[in-house]
Amino acid sequence: MISRRSLLIGTGVVGAGVVGLAERRRRLDHEPPALATVNGEGNMLWQNWSGVEHAYPASRAAPKSADEVAALLKASKAPIRAVGAGHSFTGLVPTDGTLMTLDAMSGVVSHDAATNQATVYAGTRLFDLGPALAKIGQEMVNLPDINKQSLAGGLSTGTHGTGKGIRALHGEVIGFQLATPRGDVLNCDASHHPEIFNAARVGLGAFGILTQVTLQNRALKRIHKVSTIRPREEIMEDWPNLQMRHRNVEFLVFPFTHYGVTIASDETDLPIKPRGPDRDADAVMQFKQLRDVFEFAPWLRFKVADSQIGTMPPEEMVDEGWKLLSNERPIRFKEMEYHLPLDAQLPALREVIATIEKHRPDVFFPIEARVIAPDDAWLSPFYQRECGSIAVHAYYKDDHSFLYELIEPIFRRHGGRPHWGKLNSLGAKDFAALYPRWADAMAVRQSIDPDGRMLNPYLRKVMLDG
Amino acid sequence: MQKVTLNHAWLAHERARHPGLRYYVAAMMLLGLAACQAVPVAKPLTPQESAALKPSDAKIATLYDQSCRNCHTLRDSGAPLAGDRTLWDVRWAKGMPVLMQNAIGGYNKMPAGGQCVACTAKDYEALIRFMAGHEGEPGAGTS
Repeated sequence: MISRRSLLIGTGVVGAGVVGLAERRRRLDHEPPALATVNGEGNMLWQNWSGVEHAYPASRAAPKSADEVAALLKASKAPIRAVGAGHSFTGLVPTDGTLMTLDAMSGVVSHDAATNQATVYAGTRLFDLGPALAKIGQEMVNLPDINKQSLAGGLSTGTHGTGKGIRALHGEVIGFQLATPRGDVLNCDASHHPEIFNAARVGLGAFGILTQVTLQNRALKRIHKVSTIRPREEIMEDWPNLQMRHRNVEFLVFPFTHYGVTIASDETDLPIKPRGPDRDADAVMQFKQLRDVFEFAPWLRFKVADSQIGTMPPEEMVDEGWKLLSNERPIRFKEMEYHLPLDAQLPALREVIATIEKHRPDVFFPIEARVIAPDDAWLSPFYQRECGSIAVHAYYKDDHSFLYELIEPIFRRHGGRPHWGKLNSLGAKDFAALYPRWADAMAVRQSIDPDGRMLNPYLRKVMLDG
Repeated sequence: MQKVTLNHAWLAHERARHPGLRYYVAAMMLLGLAACQAVPVAKPLTPQESAALKPSDAKIATLYDQSCRNCHTLRDSGAPLAGDRTLWDVRWAKGMPVLMQNAIGGYNKMPAGGQCVACTAKDYEALIRFMAGHEGEPGAGTS
């Protein structure tokens, strides 16, 4: 029988342990080291959104027209890299040469109401594109989780949303205007410069800079978005059915709990029920608190988390799609996402969850699963393959080495292709094996930019010698 | 308003040393009172009220519209709403050098550079002044 004294001592020990663990985490919870805002040459710092990449470009440019972009590409200090919102986690942007923004090239150029096509400036940010298209009665049926990106940045990295039969953003591109390193401005589509159209639709900014894009949109629709907490095993068993039942659907698994959430959106005539205050950021920080306290007591972490999560009601909203499909993500993070053959998605996901819960109790961000339809862009991760994606995140202050050491091998074993804008360790040889038209795309790149003016060190590794 | 405490013994000693000090102190108190009356009491803004504010300078307004606005007028972004002194005054008190470091280098939810690639250091300072509700007040916020 436990005596009162031993119970008090035991409670005290547990309490001290909890306080100690929380204090340990508090000490670890600090901002990454601040970089100098200006380097020795007087060049100002550029850093990506997550903070893992940075550069001190010698010059910056904000052209206002395609001709101006072309002239800059011909004459500016190389490497010349374009940047949108800096949301890519990979080293696509860093340059000590010229950093170019298309922020001054934004908005709708023209549209065709009969075909629901619109030509827009490539620098348009997605959060501006939604309302601009809505004004002309159109919408993009697919939007990524975050909408801060520029259209050019999103297309060039194969950015996607989710939904059975719904392609990534570039899958709805029917033509584009490209300024090339030689100073030309080319209009490309399936009939004009088709090889450039196929190679540069997902082009990583390595073929030149997109200045205008023609999109095949759909008529503006209202959607009903429902987020439902469910046991994670139940969600995974239901995933094939969920894909068939909903227009846009994804799910997230909460590690160190037995739960996840499905997020499903369908067209509707229901009256508008606007998006309420964001709950996701608070939820993520609550997972962080659980991690901080119960990092080394996973069974207790499961128990406490399950007792809280299981009682959460569904969240519903009704509005135009551009208002609901993307989300504010105020908590910065680092991310690895691979696109796997759809059949491999759930087996890989189960491995990922088991690996994290066995080896990395410091992880607390939800793991995201989506579905994307195939397309025919040569460098598209979805090239001729329907994919199930898995995204694993790390808090921006936390170590993310596990993504390379533990998670990437799982994705690679299951035949995954990495998201172009998200963390991966692959080089040219790896990509050549993953992309059937890799050699064709590289031949086009070589013909457009023989001197490699668009290539920074990261792209040289990806496209030339990695 | 910032609370000011005076060391009375020090003040009495200084008054004895400098007879004109009392007039100086009185003048400063009057100026302080006038300043208090001129500055409206800070009140929270709604996102709509914040979104309606624009920098007066055309170039700064363009940069603001292309970058800062996208987070600093949305409650869910976690960014302090532009023009809301109830959120900005505590930040403003850190001084411009700290705010510049945080804006260019990133801090907490604030991404480095505020996603403004075309911004110069002077532009960042002007944007911070506008969002903090101190546009057109040269010298303020420096430390």
